[in-house]
Amino acid sequence: MSSPMIQRHTNTGIFMHWFNAGCWLFLLATGLGLLQNPDLQPLGAWYPGLLRAVFGGGDGLLGAHIAVALLWLAVWAGYYLRFAGRYAVPFLVSIFTLDPRRDLQWIVKKNFQMTLGYKMMARLVRPLGWDGRLPEQEYYNAGQKLAAQVMVLGSLVLAVSGLILAASSWIIDTPNVPWVQWSITIHYLAAGLTFAIVLVHIYMAAIAKEERPALWSMFNGQVPAAYAEHHHKLWYDKLSK
Amino acid sequence: MSKQLGMVIDASLCLDCKGCLSACKQANQVPEGKWRNWIKDGDLEPAAAARRRVVFQPGGCMHCDQPTCVSACPTGATYKDRRDGTVVINRDLCIGCGQCLPACPYGARYRHPHLRVADKCDFCVQRRADGLEPACVSTCPTKARVFGDLNDPHSPAGRLMKKHAADQTLTQVVNRRSPTDPNLYYLGDPGPKHWPAQAKMPEALEFFKNLVKPAVNLVVGVTGLGVVAMLAKQLLMPGDAPPEHPPQGGDHE
Repeated sequence: MSSPMIQRHTNTGIFMHWFNAGCWLFLLATGLGLLQNPDLQPLGAWYPGLLRAVFGGGDGLLGAHIAVALLWLAVWAGYYLRFAGRYAVPFLVSIFTLDPRRDLQWIVKKNFQMTLGYKMMARLVRPLGWDGRLPEQEYYNAGQKLAAQVMVLGSLVLAVSGLILAASSWIIDTPNVPWVQWSITIHYLAAGLTFAIVLVHIYMAAIAKEERPALWSMFNGQVPAAYAEHHHKLWYDKLSK
Repeated sequence: MSKQLGMVIDASLCLDCKGCLSACKQANQVPEGKWRNWIKDGDLEPAAAARRRVVFQPGGCMHCDQPTCVSACPTGATYKDRRDGTVVINRDLCIGCGQCLPACPYGARYRHPHLRVADKCDFCVQRRADGLEPACVSTCPTKARVFGDLNDPHSPAGRLMKKHAADQTLTQVVNRRSPTDPNLYYLGDPGPKHWPAQAKMPEALEFFKNLVKPAVNLVVGVTGLGVVAMLAKQLLMPGDAPPEHPPQGGDHE
């Protein structure tokens, strides 16, 4: 396809995406390995055993988890301080602004379309007066917005509960520490729920065929104009003005 | 039988001189207001009045075979060391969450105010490395506390275990609702037997185990299955293109 390319991501955005992805997966893998208690560990005793062997013991594993988590936090903090007005706040506004009719309709229709198959869906909905197309979407479609919301909120909860956990043996002097205990539970819950969305994100972005241009754009920053017009019509129209 | 360090304590020999308490504090630099071991007073129980004589019960971490503190530790920082049967705390892995504290029926643990991690008796691991007995054992003037491998009939404690196994005069101090199979055995009348509390698993840990873990399993499992199903559909039905991508050359059908 010889469609002209248009810019979708900045180099900063691309860096933050892959930096975040790398840190997130590392922290997920090491964090899960820290749970050695069989009542809490979902994968079985082999997993914490394997990771402890790789990191030279549980203390090495904990040290690596905290070190990467602090790096992750420091880079995000720097990003928000440096680019608050330019990228960060507009990004947050854009993902948290859901148009009730357009976006909800998109979610429902997209889900039917993906589960039933596009042809089947088109056949089923034609009698109802729908041509099988989805409502026009902005820079982010509704699915991307919801996924981003979960990831932003999940990461925020992870950061706060993680800081409490790290601070526990650094600065918290009191003997009774229920907030530290609850932070463990909340940390796991946030990581688990966010990971479910990450699974969907990885499928949609890296495996699903029709989203292939979006995957390449996370490397070179550009998408074909035709792709932008089909998938993010409202954004494309704004650019074309 | 594997090695199991422990103590056989002849309560009838204890004078309540508290030498073991201060020796322990000094040897292990136990912070002010905290103790790694204790001497329980016989007057704790109403039955003591009827006995009309004073008994004392020296104790400390019992290095249990079924340690409830280990079950309460999320990271495995507290564990039963298979090499010598002691219950150990890895301070570098402990995050100081304190969940093991109420999980011990004996209250043998405290949160170290300076190190901010759990702490308790380790049978003086440092002294043992130097070939010495635990400080409380060395210092006891009447030798009420006897230490060693309970399973080795040649060790001082093992000898007493073997000798008194037949006459059944060895007793353990256990809370019946949370039996932990402790490795401190008593000879003579140890006095109060019902002071250990029921082991208390922290609410956050119970909530994690019973609700959060299955819920996350379900959500991640269902999502994962959905993704696998979508991938299978993509591979098995390659011709099913979304209407946003009409085949080249043809218009919307």
